[in-house]
Amino acid sequence: MKVTYNWLKEFVDFDLSPADLGHLLTMLGLEVEGMEQLGGGMDEVVVARVLEKNQHPNADKLSLCKVDNGKEILSVVCGAQNFKQGDTVALAQIGAVLPGDFKIKRSKIRGEESCGMLCSEKELNLADESAGIMILSSDLPLGTPFFEAMGLKDTIFEIGLTPNRADCLSVIGIAREIAAKLGKRVRYPSIVVPEYGQPVDSKVSVAIQDAVGCPRYAARFISGCKIAPSPAWLVNRLNAVGVRSINNVVDITNLVMIELGHPLHAFDYTQVAGGQIIVRRAGEGEKFRTLDGQERTLTATDLMICDRDRAVALAGIMGGENSEITETTTDILLESAFFDPPTIRRSSKRLGLHTESSHRFERGADLDMVPKALDRAASLMAQLAGGNVATGRVDNFPAPKALASITFRPERANAMLGLSLTAERMAELFRNLEFQVQPVSNGSFQVTIPSYRIDIEREIDLIEEICRLNGFDQVVATMPVAQVISDRPSLHQRLQRSVRDHFVAEGMHEIVSFSFIAADAADRINLNADDPRRNGIKLCNPLAAEQAVMRTTLLPGLLETASRNMSFRSLDLRLFEMRRVYHPVPDQEMPHEPVYCAGLISGTRDQESWCQQDVDVDFYDAKGIVENLFELLQIRGVRWSSEEPEPFYHPGKCCRIVVGNSTIGTIGEIHPEVLKRYEIEQSVYYFELNFEELVRLSGSRKAIVAPSRFPDSVRDLALLAPLDLPSAQLIDCVKSLKLQELEKVAIFDLYQGDRVPEGYKSIALRLRYRASERTMTDDEVQQVHQKVIVTLMGKLGVTVR
Amino acid sequence: MGVRCSCSLFPFYSFFKFLKGTNDMREQLEQMRQQALSAIAAATTEEMLNEVRVRYLGRKGELTGLMKGLGTLPADERPKVGQLVNTVKDEVEAQIEQTMNRAREEATAKRLATERIDVTLPGRGRRQGSKHPITLVIEEVSEIFAGLGFSVAEGPEIEHDWYNFEALNFPPEHPARDMQDTFFVENQMLLRTHTSPVQIRTMLKQKPPVRIIAPGTVYRCDSDATHSPMFHQIEGLMVDTQVSFADLKGILTTFTNQLFGQKTGVRLRPSFFPFTEPSAEVDIACVICGGTGCRVCKQTGWLEILGAGMVDPEVFRHVGYDPETIAGFAFGMGIERIAMLKYGISDMRLLFENDIRFLKQF
Repeated sequence: MKVTYNWLKEFVDFDLSPADLGHLLTMLGLEVEGMEQLGGGMDEVVVARVLEKNQHPNADKLSLCKVDNGKEILSVVCGAQNFKQGDTVALAQIGAVLPGDFKIKRSKIRGEESCGMLCSEKELNLADESAGIMILSSDLPLGTPFFEAMGLKDTIFEIGLTPNRADCLSVIGIAREIAAKLGKRVRYPSIVVPEYGQPVDSKVSVAIQDAVGCPRYAARFISGCKIAPSPAWLVNRLNAVGVRSINNVVDITNLVMIELGHPLHAFDYTQVAGGQIIVRRAGEGEKFRTLDGQERTLTATDLMICDRDRAVALAGIMGGENSEITETTTDILLESAFFDPPTIRRSSKRLGLHTESSHRFERGADLDMVPKALDRAASLMAQLAGGNVATGRVDNFPAPKALASITFRPERANAMLGLSLTAERMAELFRNLEFQVQPVSNGSFQVTIPSYRIDIEREIDLIEEICRLNGFDQVVATMPVAQVISDRPSLHQRLQRSVRDHFVAEGMHEIVSFSFIAADAADRINLNADDPRRNGIKLCNPLAAEQAVMRTTLLPGLLETASRNMSFRSLDLRLFEMRRVYHPVPDQEMPHEPVYCAGLISGTRDQESWCQQDVDVDFYDAKGIVENLFELLQIRGVRWSSEEPEPFYHPGKCCRIVVGNSTIGTIGEIHPEVLKRYEIEQSVYYFELNFEELVRLSGSRKAIVAPSRFPDSVRDLALLAPLDLPSAQLIDCVKSLKLQELEKVAIFDLYQGDRVPEGYKSIALRLRYRASERTMTDDEVQQVHQKVIVTLMGKLGVTVR
Repeated sequence: MGVRCSCSLFPFYSFFKFLKGTNDMREQLEQMRQQALSAIAAATTEEMLNEVRVRYLGRKGELTGLMKGLGTLPADERPKVGQLVNTVKDEVEAQIEQTMNRAREEATAKRLATERIDVTLPGRGRRQGSKHPITLVIEEVSEIFAGLGFSVAEGPEIEHDWYNFEALNFPPEHPARDMQDTFFVENQMLLRTHTSPVQIRTMLKQKPPVRIIAPGTVYRCDSDATHSPMFHQIEGLMVDTQVSFADLKGILTTFTNQLFGQKTGVRLRPSFFPFTEPSAEVDIACVICGGTGCRVCKQTGWLEILGAGMVDPEVFRHVGYDPETIAGFAFGMGIERIAMLKYGISDMRLLFENDIRFLKQF
């Protein structure tokens, strides 16, 4: 909503600078989002007189003028022809900066010096088009800044209104707020309609067939209008608030809408068959051409203004092309009505047709303003278009509504707001808002609300008005008195933090990618046709094809991030993401939204270094991160199972991570085909874990054992094992013996190649023996170690090298 | 005895010398002492000192040999001579120890004087990773509110219209819904447009008092330089028997002062949200210019960072609370906005591009 400083001053007296007024409005909840000085910074455009107009010696289409700016005589070259010697003009002097950052400088044009420019309306941003330079009234004092002399100096306020304040979609509404805050009274425009002869009933009739959609419809008949351009003051005023001038009659309806907040519509009377207005719902599928030339297909919920034969307007939104005001119009049927907000909103939304009129009606117009706005416009049409207003107005208002009246308890307001205002002060604030206050027995008030404040329906709304008008800055901050002991963060929350901390300690950087991904992501990551992860929840109104489906895995986001970073030559990546995925649950509305955590690593293992060779990461780097995480979360009994490999992994370099019977994640090298689709040209390792499962399995703490104080004995064991024997089986086999004296067993060397028989690999185990209560003798160690060897050979078919 | 003597000629020899008489032995002992001390004095390394120690004090050393020969002396001579030998032994031992220590110190000093490394070479090992700034802000805000007695609550991102709008007093067909462009998904569900539905879910689950914050991801059908279709909010809710608008101001002042480390407090401006009344926009003094006016605050000196207000009675009715006996306030803030102010990030899109060169800076 745009208003100007001068326009507001017509309705309320205030002694505030534009900046102070802006602050006052903002602190009232009418947020000033922008302020623009009309004619600001254009003091170098001054009123001047043309003393001589001569032909330019070197150019046929230019003239060379002598111009008096009140102080000196300047020579100016001009291209326009529409002026003569003695005319008063607007001169942009050297140093002026015109709209569009156009700087006026001393220049030579075809050899003749020019010390300025004679301006057109377009050049001063006063009109979209202009034929020549502006010729001003000859009584303007020479040398005065043009905008000042013309009374055009003003400040435009752009106000961001919240949707509840329909009453402020007008100059008068904003003036009311200023008056209320300053304790002043608003000067409402006095409206006198000069009425002539014939009664309006003889020309116009109104039938409301849908009183829900249209509770009130008023009209006047104005004959003999002369459609013409509007006078300059009207054009300028509309321009200032961003409304384009059309002609005098249409401009008047717009002016009244902005001034009083009530949308009006003017019909060409001769196009309204029988002078009959019928308000009804549209027929399903009915076609209607609005005055923007668009043909609209209607539904039975759209409210229409019709004449005897056909529809003439889309109620409250836009008039019809068939009955619009044209240059030849003389007789006018002027409409002022109230339309049901949800009805207007539904139609406007469905048709994608949002107008100044629909904007006001859908937020809620003022029922009582219907006749006032009608009369204001009619009087202006008589004045500016020479129209004759027929006597009386039609006002079809089947069920007049009483003003709302609300009981208000001052002590409740103080308790709610933390204030200690007196009841008298609160009553005063209400009266400043033009609310009527009646005290009732127990200290409460009965407050009657003006019709334009449709947002005030309950006591709490009045409490807010007290706080707002008294000033939010008058509320002194206090701390609440309350007995609450907050819960400790849940295990879920605490572990989320631990897991993130872990990944950070592993040198990984957290990313945040969008929850919605491209519909074809499932194809790009090779998911099988029957994979349930293909059934992501689809957005009905995505902004882009890449944001169409709620993700079921974090993989696409991480691959895309890796790809983008690699395109910037960031090739060594350690990334993780820890966020929700969205899994539809069959037969349930609410999907499951588990948190997943996933990591992606690629490139060299360590940062470039002076003391070691660059080595690329591999599967075991990724696995180490996950193993450390399990250790941190005390998750035990993890199996790394190569069965049923995920389709997006290299089939020989991946596995499922299984605890008990549940797969809690997967890990592996990304399939080269998948990498190619993401334009990645180096190996990428990935893991994805279901964090909800990690939480469930976490904390299986082993009993703490006091360390032995006795010496250990270490034995190494080199074994020849079949190539396909998983190494973990060796460890598991040793551990299954549950030897008390075995402190630790680890694989410390692995060899496959020429020096072992084909089909075999050499695996070296290091076993550390130690008893808790004594020093083991060589014999004892040898005995236990022998048991290990025999078991390994017997169970796994390995031989000692 | 004979066997033992044959093992080493030297003790055997000294033993005979010793037998010549106590006086002779004293002379011998003195000579041995002199030799030992000069040998110690001549030794320059630990190894040489060790040799001296073996020669005189070792199991088969000269002084040890004398000691062993004591048995052949008359019984009344033994203690006197024994004491004498022990005195010399102790002296030699002490001298060796002392010289040894000095030699060690010198060796260490010499080593330390020559060993040098380039301490400016970078250290070994992997660098720390980083948390995303959005995570950092959520963690920090949660910590501050934990100190103010607020627990963290969570809720679904794919929501029912009822929780996201209706229970929050956004009636169907209400223009207030235009404030939040909504993504709809299958099954008549939507992507929550704010974290406020968590208020509803929390109040439906528990009786007052309530003190929660709810950080989370939200979605709006809007994308340009300053809007992302996915972003983050933190919602706050406090409900109790005596909670006022002044308390809301107190909590938010404490919070913003702790978050931005300033003492300028907050400015509340009237605004509108369907689920609070009175409603306020909350501004803080510009953290860039301190309130004097700059590009970031558009010369106003104030930055809008929060929306807040007293919980609307209609909302309480929806969750079965009695608005006559309890009161509450709610607030919500955009995490991206706070991250941008806190870290001086000029373009919100940087937060979602996940460029490693950006992420490494956190």
